[in-house]
Amino acid sequence: MGLLLRLENHLNDPFSLTRRAMLAGAAALLATTGRVRAKQPGPRVATLDWALLETLLAIGANVVAGTELLQFRQVAVTPEVPGTVADLGLRGTPNFEVLRFAEPDLVFNSNFYAWADPLMSRIAPVESHSVYVPGESPYQLAEKATLAIGDRLQLASARSLVDELSARLDRYRKELAGGDGRPILPINLGDARHYRVFGSDSMFGEVLARLGLRNAWSGTTSYSAMAPVGIETLATMPDAWIVLIPPHPEDAFRELVEGAFWKTLPAVREGRVLTIGSVNPYGALPAASRFADFLAEGLSSARNR
Amino acid sequence: MPETVSLSASSRGTRTGVIPIVILTLACALSFALLLIYRPSVLGDPATAAALNDLLFWNSLLPRAAIALVSGAALGLAGALLQRVLRNPIADASTLGIASGAQLALTLGLSFSPLLIGASRELLAFGGGLAALLIVLVLSWRRGLDPVTVALSGMIISLIAGSLSVTTILARGEYAMSIHIWGAGSLSQQNWNGVLSLAPRLALGFAAALFLRRPLTVLALDDASAKSLGVALQTVRFAILLLAVWLSASVTATVGIIGFLGLAAPTLARLCGARTTSQVMLAAPLAGAAILFLADCLTQLFGSGFSDFVPTGVATALLGGPLLLFLLPRVHGFSAVTAEAGAGIRRLGAPGRMLILAVLLVVSLGVALVLGRGDSGWNIATGALLSDLLPFRLPRIVVAMGAGAMLGAAGLIMQRVTGNPLASPEVLGVSSGSGAGLTLALLLFGFPSPLLMIASMAFGALAAFVIIMGVAARSGLSAERLLLAGIAVAAFSMAIVSIVLAQGDMRGYILLTWLSGSTNRAGAFEAWTALISLAVLVTPLFLMTRWLSILPLGSGLSRSVGLRIMPSRLVLAVLAALMTAIASFLVGPLSLTGLIAPHLARLIGFHRPAHQLPATLLIGACVLVLADWLSRVVIYPYQVPVGLFAALIGGPYLLWLLTRRP
Repeated sequence: MGLLLRLENHLNDPFSLTRRAMLAGAAALLATTGRVRAKQPGPRVATLDWALLETLLAIGANVVAGTELLQFRQVAVTPEVPGTVADLGLRGTPNFEVLRFAEPDLVFNSNFYAWADPLMSRIAPVESHSVYVPGESPYQLAEKATLAIGDRLQLASARSLVDELSARLDRYRKELAGGDGRPILPINLGDARHYRVFGSDSMFGEVLARLGLRNAWSGTTSYSAMAPVGIETLATMPDAWIVLIPPHPEDAFRELVEGAFWKTLPAVREGRVLTIGSVNPYGALPAASRFADFLAEGLSSARNR
Repeated sequence: MPETVSLSASSRGTRTGVIPIVILTLACALSFALLLIYRPSVLGDPATAAALNDLLFWNSLLPRAAIALVSGAALGLAGALLQRVLRNPIADASTLGIASGAQLALTLGLSFSPLLIGASRELLAFGGGLAALLIVLVLSWRRGLDPVTVALSGMIISLIAGSLSVTTILARGEYAMSIHIWGAGSLSQQNWNGVLSLAPRLALGFAAALFLRRPLTVLALDDASAKSLGVALQTVRFAILLLAVWLSASVTATVGIIGFLGLAAPTLARLCGARTTSQVMLAAPLAGAAILFLADCLTQLFGSGFSDFVPTGVATALLGGPLLLFLLPRVHGFSAVTAEAGAGIRRLGAPGRMLILAVLLVVSLGVALVLGRGDSGWNIATGALLSDLLPFRLPRIVVAMGAGAMLGAAGLIMQRVTGNPLASPEVLGVSSGSGAGLTLALLLFGFPSPLLMIASMAFGALAAFVIIMGVAARSGLSAERLLLAGIAVAAFSMAIVSIVLAQGDMRGYILLTWLSGSTNRAGAFEAWTALISLAVLVTPLFLMTRWLSILPLGSGLSRSVGLRIMPSRLVLAVLAALMTAIASFLVGPLSLTGLIAPHLARLIGFHRPAHQLPATLLIGACVLVLADWLSRVVIYPYQVPVGLFAALIGGPYLLWLLTRRP
């Protein structure tokens, strides 16, 4: 009964975890970037890629343009995007004229938008750093990209971001070592009947591995995620912690958690469901950091109750 | 099964109908048995595993089977009602735009969910579906709801609704994911809610259909007889239409779009021997239930583990295209669609008019080049600013110009070769065919090079056009049926595209980007591709203008003036397919430029191909350049896909053409 009540608290107030974890995460980020943020206008940089955008913002680069900022503020949430950053429009159809008016000195790009290289190189030199490459570890690539960008912009905060996060993940790993040893299933809810799951080759999967946690999803994924998976498959992973990662359609979420099937799932009955804050599933180190904070906070607070 | 509507057909029909009924029933039973045997099970400690397997059986497998039956029956009934009340054998939630309208409303609802939290999915879907159907009916009202006009209007409304949905999805899109896939007609269930909400609707709809049995029978006659029999004609019609929309929108809201089932079910019912209204009303839901049940069992059986092979809705759409082709010879009675030239500026001589067009194109190019928006509002770019912006503006303007001209020329060829004033790359399904070609390239090669993409798109476009011409030549289809064959080919091609789209990976993202049709990515390669292919493909056309004037006159006359029909048609088909494929590679599948450019040329008074061709090229270029400029400035800095804008210009024009009195 107690478990059930607690679960309902989680479900009714998905932000109860968010707020605390976010504060922790923000504090950690500030510790590494606070000094740089205090105005040291380096070269003006821009990017089409969200993973690079959050990396640039986190290490305190002088970002002048990014894509889909409206959506970014809702999905990635942190780091905060200053109001001075120009919105380039959709990632699929970025507005090069806006990019031109933003007058960047340097543009960072990734394999996802490689088609735009020749066009953007007319505005400023383009450098590519890819975080998501089939068959390679996104975490390692994100570390590599962060360090390379830090070198390029001469921002020492890049190194401290990498080191601090790595140390923090180690600390979490030790804290969680005494946990229940159950596997974790990180999912996005699509509608009340389907979810998207993240495999071991995703950023979430990598963070789980670095926290010493097992990913409950062992099936195939294509390019790190797989969708749509029917909700009924949750029954095939009775041992797992279900970690719901927003944003998800609010009505679908309500329909799901009020359903009898959901309530019958072992994970739900035993209070092994975490709803964390919104995280960009295709992010870089800041997203990994957000996810790790949420997860560590959620799992340890569940254990202490 | 020949369509002999004699009284004796009823008894003969019942006898021959037994075999398909038995086969279908056996197939359903067999595949369900196989599913029960081979269904994946949960491993782990025996007690938990048994409980969970029970849970899966009672709360997933069984309700899924039930929802397949209920949804299939509801769609079958809706299709039968629509076909009867519109006297249109190809009426269906998907051909009438109901499904796309419902889908668009749901997509918009999902995108703005905080605003719409009060409105239920069913209500949204019903509103969207009803709105789409009403638009279609209003548009075809003046032509007395003629079946082809209704179907064509439905197709255009579907196109526009579909492209608006894609734009909405892209506007919220993440890298590879889209909310599109959630609505692609997956039947997976975790409880009985879907069944419990749909089943009473089906029962109610069925009861209403039985209650309206007599008016339905009368409605199958023509209006005059129906009125003389005392049926309040329009009221009953409208009531039945509402019922059908409600049924199909409920299904769309619950499980997404299940393509063409409303088309397939009544056809199968008739194949099984149903003849009278009551028989069809009874048999169509049964047939729909059986088809969807079978398709759903098969997609589960062929999938690995717990994943489906393809979403069930896509599987049924694959059946829809060929079925529509099969049905075509049975579509009766239309009035011919003609487009008359307007008198307007025809007083000017041909050179004068051509000059005006050329000036118009130059002006549009100029506007597109210098006029734009920036952070501080509108600006006219000159000097240094212009030379800065030129690398971004020039390629997309050149691409729009080249693609517009090629689409116009391709449309002109198709209209001339088929002798059909409504033929065009989009309407005949040739653009969609190129999409199917692109999909195959993505499946075979992962990430093909641009040249490989163009080649495979050309292959798809040519295949689609050859099929259309083959269908036309074989059965001597009327001009309007040709258009329906085009819809069929387009539906089949788009089902192939949907299969990859449903995977939700990077290839799906490439297809979504292509579907939305944007010139934003145009660079030097695309610009040169447009220019060179325009030059290479259009030049020979000027030498073939004689073919273009003779071919529409019919094969007999053409032969008599010494034109060898097959080779000349084939050469023109290859040219048209190549131009369509390259243009659709550059600006996406749905601009409708190929339709309106030749018409505008004719309306301005260019009738002879030697004149119509250059005029069409100029107009096509003009339309797409302007659409491209609009797409760039309307919601700056965000950009609307150019194809959407062109379709929003071309769609209403096509509808206007359709609805004019002959």
